[in-house]
Amino acid sequence: MRPNRVTDMATNSRRTVLTGFGVISPIGTGPDAVWQSLHAGTSGVHTITRVNPANLPSQMAGEVRDFSAKSLIDKSYRRTLNAMARTVEFGVIGCQLAMQDAGLAKGMIPAERIGIEFASVMGATDLDDLAPAAKISLLPDESGPNMAAWGGEGLTHVPPLWMLKYLPNMPACHASVIYDIQGPSNTQIPGDTAGGVAMAEAVRILRRGAADVMIVGGSEAKVHPLSLSRFNLFAQFSKHNDDPEGAIRPFDRDRDGTAPGEGTATFILETLESARARNAKIYGEVVAVASGVDRGLTGPGLARVIRNALDMAGLTPSDIDHVNAHGTGTTRGDAFEARGIAEVFGTHVPVFAPLSRFGNLGAGSALMELGCSVLALQHGMLPGTLNHANPDPACPVYVHTGPAKPITQPYAVKLSYTDLGQCTAVVIRKWNDDR
Amino acid sequence: MRKRVVITGMGVLTPLGASVTDLFTSQIEGRSAVGPITRFDAHTFPTNFASEVKGFDLGKYVRDATRYKNCGLNTQFALAAGRQAIEDAGLLDANVGDRSRMGVYLGSGEGSDEFPALVRGLAHSAPKEGHGPCDTGEFTRVMLKWMDGPREGEQEMYTPAGHLATTFALDGPNQACQTACAASSQAIGEATEMIRWGEADVMVAGGSHSMIHPLGVSGFNRLTALSQRNESPRTASRPFDLNRDGFVIGEGAGLVVLEELEHARARKATIYAEVTGYGTTADAYRMTDPHPEGRGAIRAMADALRDAGLKPTDIGYINAHGTSTQANDSTETAAIKGVFKDYAYKVPISSSKSMLGHLIAAAGVVELVISITALRKGIIPPTINYETPDPVCDLDYVPNTAREVRFHHVLSNSFGFGGQNIALVASRYLEG
Repeated sequence: MRPNRVTDMATNSRRTVLTGFGVISPIGTGPDAVWQSLHAGTSGVHTITRVNPANLPSQMAGEVRDFSAKSLIDKSYRRTLNAMARTVEFGVIGCQLAMQDAGLAKGMIPAERIGIEFASVMGATDLDDLAPAAKISLLPDESGPNMAAWGGEGLTHVPPLWMLKYLPNMPACHASVIYDIQGPSNTQIPGDTAGGVAMAEAVRILRRGAADVMIVGGSEAKVHPLSLSRFNLFAQFSKHNDDPEGAIRPFDRDRDGTAPGEGTATFILETLESARARNAKIYGEVVAVASGVDRGLTGPGLARVIRNALDMAGLTPSDIDHVNAHGTGTTRGDAFEARGIAEVFGTHVPVFAPLSRFGNLGAGSALMELGCSVLALQHGMLPGTLNHANPDPACPVYVHTGPAKPITQPYAVKLSYTDLGQCTAVVIRKWNDDR
Repeated sequence: MRKRVVITGMGVLTPLGASVTDLFTSQIEGRSAVGPITRFDAHTFPTNFASEVKGFDLGKYVRDATRYKNCGLNTQFALAAGRQAIEDAGLLDANVGDRSRMGVYLGSGEGSDEFPALVRGLAHSAPKEGHGPCDTGEFTRVMLKWMDGPREGEQEMYTPAGHLATTFALDGPNQACQTACAASSQAIGEATEMIRWGEADVMVAGGSHSMIHPLGVSGFNRLTALSQRNESPRTASRPFDLNRDGFVIGEGAGLVVLEELEHARARKATIYAEVTGYGTTADAYRMTDPHPEGRGAIRAMADALRDAGLKPTDIGYINAHGTSTQANDSTETAAIKGVFKDYAYKVPISSSKSMLGHLIAAAGVVELVISITALRKGIIPPTINYETPDPVCDLDYVPNTAREVRFHHVLSNSFGFGGQNIALVASRYLEG
């Protein structure tokens, strides 16, 4: 193994622990509900109801049903809801739930000592915001808009705050106003790895002493008519429309694509010193995060990122209880991820791929999936992967399926990647008060 | 032990030039790049002008431009600026150095959906009479028929940073952020921290953004954030002038090569400047308006100075965010006074945006490149279109004419919608 050049960051610095978890997902709202669902093996992937799916090639998704931002939003902030798209609503409420779960209220942490790292994307426009302008300006041959009509009368029908509803940095912006968060604030956008790099940056900020507490979250609402249309055109989505719950089949021979999900997973990450000083409940420790690129999705680049994360944590592969894979159920993605895992761990480490239960939350995916391992370590049980029945020789990994099994090692590794090869690996540790 | 970080390569693609030299010459000459929008027919928009990149040819920067034909301008601009910066640093050859220790941190914008298809889908799914919810089934039917899948896939926000990495063999840490107008400065600041603490030896950092497309221009028009001087686009961006009436949309990209000092010395790289200070704060105030007393901006600047170990009087030039909106320019002036006290009236301050317009996510990096070039050449670009002093903006904005001044440290401000405040300090590199 190459010389270890990055460990001084992990060893000489402040430890970072998770003290709050806000989650709104297709398999439940709140850590308790999500854990019960994980343990019971229920799926949140169903036939789409938020959009008429009749014309979509892939007709299932992990939807959050019965979500009402209006009933959950901080009362002082309710009037701002009309300037929030669903993805922003998820994010803001996720931050609130995480703060509440951590026992934190506005003012408890000095404003300049708390910051936020949020994983997000530009939201897809609500159709009704732009439809009146579109109707006025469509050319007679229907090829597109008459731009003069769009820019003239059309624009007058576009809501003045239209753009602000969708900007990626709005979850962080609103949460900072609600909780008077004046420390570092950043919004990470590299797709499915955004949550991983948000966690990486939050750890860095805490370790360099620029804050004591960070909100680290992610959200996305892909169950949207525009997003679904776009993704059906360029992403590999499963066509198992007759079996939504069984559609996403991680590392399985018969996998044929993924399905979108929606929601948020948002954590409170703080220094151990800060958590102890306020006697906070601790879910687990974030030990190290690494990112890097695997050009061409071949596997060695992902393996290098995993090894970097283990190096930073001062660990070897045998310290790891399980690898939490992105496991999207796509043909190429799963084979790539399995090659990277196998190169570091061989074929015996249990692989847990929770995404098949709730779909791909996009910018929310890394932290939602990470949350499943945080809960597994906390409860001492690793749930099985749903819908993995037939191993695929192209995916040389041992996928843990069936009922939950006891956790045997204190560490887990969470992987994420994009289809351009951006990868992240997050190492977390089960919390053990006596250490 | 915190390591020192220096800049060993710079590249830009801007409305005022597709190289650092051309950009800086234009800035010193006080040229404006602002004119009527040509990218699409915008003549009926309340604001119909912008600062556009013209004559762009990706083929000058990458071996096989057809590979990127579906990419949006955010990716294409990033590749153009990245190529210049990486070549400038002597790192273009993928066999040079340990590529797993070289990463990317890009502040980049949203993609743009295919506008004609979107309008078609919306118009078809809207109720025939009156207002009401659209028919989502009909909408998806039209979109699936008329949208171009590969092109849409390239509008996803992770793609520009991903293409930069894969095109130039930068296998190390890869991040991308979007904090509106502060994004590329924040990318540079956080990438600097990554090198300081040993996560990488080299980070190619900066930003890339174009919002000169129908939805971007529509959005800013509705927010009434733009100057409406349609009759005189060149004089529309007038930071700190009493009669300023909004900002001007620009577009472009800038990338710098940040490198750990010993790594740069070992390979005898040219060192342009050292990144010595970084401050990052949030206003926690409102979606678009800055805090009226500039509390977040004050702390960002103060933090950057403290990080650099400098006193306010060490700063020889402030490159202001200076957007030409009423709120930004008065708040930024107040914040500078809050940090620099009496010295605020003495230090030269100018706004690159008076000539370039506002490059949004790419603004901060391009302005840092201008700042560093000013530091090296001992000449400060002016704030053009400065005609009528504003009683609340009463500092030295280097009006209309460049000024020769020798100085050692420059502060560059970037403030974003949503209340993100970033301040960077760059210093003349001194050995030892």
